[in-house]
Amino acid sequence: MIPILFGVTIITFILFNVVIDDPAVLLAGKSASPERLQQIRAELGTDQPLYVQYLTSVKQIFTFDFGRSWSSKQSVSETILAGLSPSLTLTVPAFIISILLSICLALGTAYFRGTAVDKFATVMALALMSISSLVYIMVFQYTFAFNLGVFPISGWDQSWTDRWQYVQLPWMIWIVLSLGPNLLVYRTAILDEYFQDYVRTARAKGLAEGVVLFKHVLKNALIPIITIVVVQMPFLITGSLLLEAFFGIPGLGGLLYQAINNSDFPVIRAMVVIGTLLYMTFNLLADLAYAVVNPRVRLS
Amino acid sequence: MLKKISLVGMLIFTLLFTLHCTKKTDPTDDTINAVLVANVKGLDPIQTNDLYSHLVVRQIYEGLMSYHYLKRPMELQPQLADGMPKVSKDGLTHTFKIKKGVVFHDDPAFANGKGREVVAEDFIYSWKRLADPKNRSTGYWIFDGKIKGLNEWAAAVGEGKADYAAPVEGLQAPDSHTLVIQLNEPYYQLHYVLAMGFASVVAKEVVDKYGEEFLNHPVGTGPFRFKNWVRGQKIELVRNEKFRNEVYPSEGAPGDKEAGFLADAGKKVPLASKLVFTELTEDQPRWLNFMKGNFDFLNIPKDNFSTAIENRQLTKDMKAKGIKIRFTKEPDITYIAFNNTHPILKNKKVRQAMGLAYDTKTSLDLFYNNLGIPAQSPIPPNIDGYDPDLKNPNTQFDIEKAKKLMAEAGYPEGKGFPEITYDTLSTTTSRQMGEFLQNSMKKIGINIKVRSNTWPQFQQKIKTKQTELWGIAWSADYPDAQNFLQLFYSKNHPPGPNESLFSNADFDKLYEEALLMPPGAKRTSHYKKMTKILVEEMPWIYNIHRELPRIYHGWLKNYKQNSLNHDFFKFLRVDAKERAKVKATL
Repeated sequence: MIPILFGVTIITFILFNVVIDDPAVLLAGKSASPERLQQIRAELGTDQPLYVQYLTSVKQIFTFDFGRSWSSKQSVSETILAGLSPSLTLTVPAFIISILLSICLALGTAYFRGTAVDKFATVMALALMSISSLVYIMVFQYTFAFNLGVFPISGWDQSWTDRWQYVQLPWMIWIVLSLGPNLLVYRTAILDEYFQDYVRTARAKGLAEGVVLFKHVLKNALIPIITIVVVQMPFLITGSLLLEAFFGIPGLGGLLYQAINNSDFPVIRAMVVIGTLLYMTFNLLADLAYAVVNPRVRLS
Repeated sequence: MLKKISLVGMLIFTLLFTLHCTKKTDPTDDTINAVLVANVKGLDPIQTNDLYSHLVVRQIYEGLMSYHYLKRPMELQPQLADGMPKVSKDGLTHTFKIKKGVVFHDDPAFANGKGREVVAEDFIYSWKRLADPKNRSTGYWIFDGKIKGLNEWAAAVGEGKADYAAPVEGLQAPDSHTLVIQLNEPYYQLHYVLAMGFASVVAKEVVDKYGEEFLNHPVGTGPFRFKNWVRGQKIELVRNEKFRNEVYPSEGAPGDKEAGFLADAGKKVPLASKLVFTELTEDQPRWLNFMKGNFDFLNIPKDNFSTAIENRQLTKDMKAKGIKIRFTKEPDITYIAFNNTHPILKNKKVRQAMGLAYDTKTSLDLFYNNLGIPAQSPIPPNIDGYDPDLKNPNTQFDIEKAKKLMAEAGYPEGKGFPEITYDTLSTTTSRQMGEFLQNSMKKIGINIKVRSNTWPQFQQKIKTKQTELWGIAWSADYPDAQNFLQLFYSKNHPPGPNESLFSNADFDKLYEEALLMPPGAKRTSHYKKMTKILVEEMPWIYNIHRELPRIYHGWLKNYKQNSLNHDFFKFLRVDAKERAKVKATL
């Protein structure tokens, strides 16, 4: 894991220095004297040789002291922590509901494979995927929040009891958005197992179709599904930029977007490092989960 | 089993569709609900280089000067200064008396948690903070090189050779309520820059207590106190009950009385008890929330323009909802800048030809909904030095004349003219503007390549002189033509503000002379002479001085916002009963 993290930090550092070679120019504002510019470089440490800057950056990563944002001067760690709760409130429940729902529908379509129901579900899934996420957000917000008044148009509340009203509509959009691709992938995974010998054996033993589906097919189909789900999990932390922006939810998606737009290196670096760590951790968890759901994959 | 699963699925969906109970509007709640189109970065006055942070900061913090809320053109008036300052004959010494009895908001940083009185030393401390290189303020340009000894103090502090106790020759407090500023040379824009947020007064105790977190603990003297901020979402301010006895103005611009702007004359401000700024970066939710009455006023998003306005009038639907509109002429200019040192573009005839080939009237229609006026020079209306009768011969759309000039410059029909890169931002409108320029220049044989950039890339290219042609805008920091003319002074090349790298000895001479002149006919005459040079030389293609339509609900009273005066929320009043009644129908 350490070499990967090391590689990621060095790539981020190089890329940033290629795109913005002198951040002091951006931070000095519209009217600055050359002396002022030099003072800012000294404050940022960008007047130091590149290897010194990189080592400082690595030291900050290993001490989990990400410093302060160049753009807003806010503490990077605190800003990320503040955005974590809204992001997870938005993404985690929607993610779980969407997976459960997609698995149910995928099992259903697998059960009705080749029939009109299956075809209809597949076509619907493709149709759902063909429409831009922006369209869903704008139409749903206009219809359900503005016209019908079923949900608030936008907003957020820090309290755990009042925040839910603001995330219901974004959840709904998230689910609709992920339903299409999830259904198609899960359906394929389930159908791959559906025609295996052990399924035929189970049926031959006279097991009910429900038992065959849930006890045998689903359990084996879970390996590819877990792989996909786990790979998606680190991205839950960064939330969903568009949903956050349209519904006024102060999550990490917006923070990262602004950091990129402002060339705010300390924030970008922190998000990249956290993203990498999460990605590696979740991949490890996926490997462990395989062993749990499938005895054939056991660590010796 | 399948049935059970379906049942669970249905239950989840039913839960999702649970009706959200709409809260009724409280008929006694006079909160002003404002919306910001970008996120606030922080609430430290020396860091507020963006409009939105500034808008919030100016309700909490105050400075020595401000602008009259109603009078137009903008008129400077004292804020924490007790009367206008005394200026020595040579213009080098400015003596300010500070209002007595002005106190900071209560905060645990003060003894017993009670805000103490503001004294002259507080201003000296606040401005040293602005100068301190460790704070990396983008606002130091307001004092850079102007106040005696301040640059030297900043350099010494940067090198660790001085601290805040070290005196600055040009900033003296002979007594607790007198502040004397000594300048290196006359700086007649000083009083204007003192009305900017960067020059606000802060308390040393508060900065010391919160350190780097000071930007999240604003403690000023303003009409509103900080209550809460959920970063990226909402800032709440409440009335400062200890605010000094300041009242709503009893005089205004012609027509203000008839328009009802003097109805609250003489009433103690702030008129509202609470102020909420919601941060929403997307147009649609801002628009929908406004239409539901959740925000009291709004700048109309581009895509909703035709829904809101028809022939400079609100549409019937909008009027029926009790919505009102105000058009304000912005003190700004949008322009296409030339790199005036570019081997081809340094040829004046080429610049004039490109100015003539660019149809500003069509640009006004296509990109500004016909709100604004084609610019003849950089100086916008309502600014000293603006000439309403000026007609720039090099911006009157004329393709034939442009072609003739191209031939005279040695490029008949554009032959031998290399492709020029136009840098712009990556937004849709910016790219469309680039394509419009591309089509316009094609008519005189010039090929333009449009290159999109993120804002930092764009800024970096401009500041490091890597651009040939680019589209950008400039908004006034204060209502003086010098703020626009500085953009052409040769000693202001980047990192200074003269990004088009224009150099002209005659212009420089006039600029330097005008800097030393007090406001008056002689200075205005100098401004006009400089404008004449800029009309002839065309260092930019002058595009549009914009006009901004702001819509607001009828329940919001005294709404006369403009782009220079940001401390206006104290004058706003919400008719809470009317809001509750109307909102129920929206």
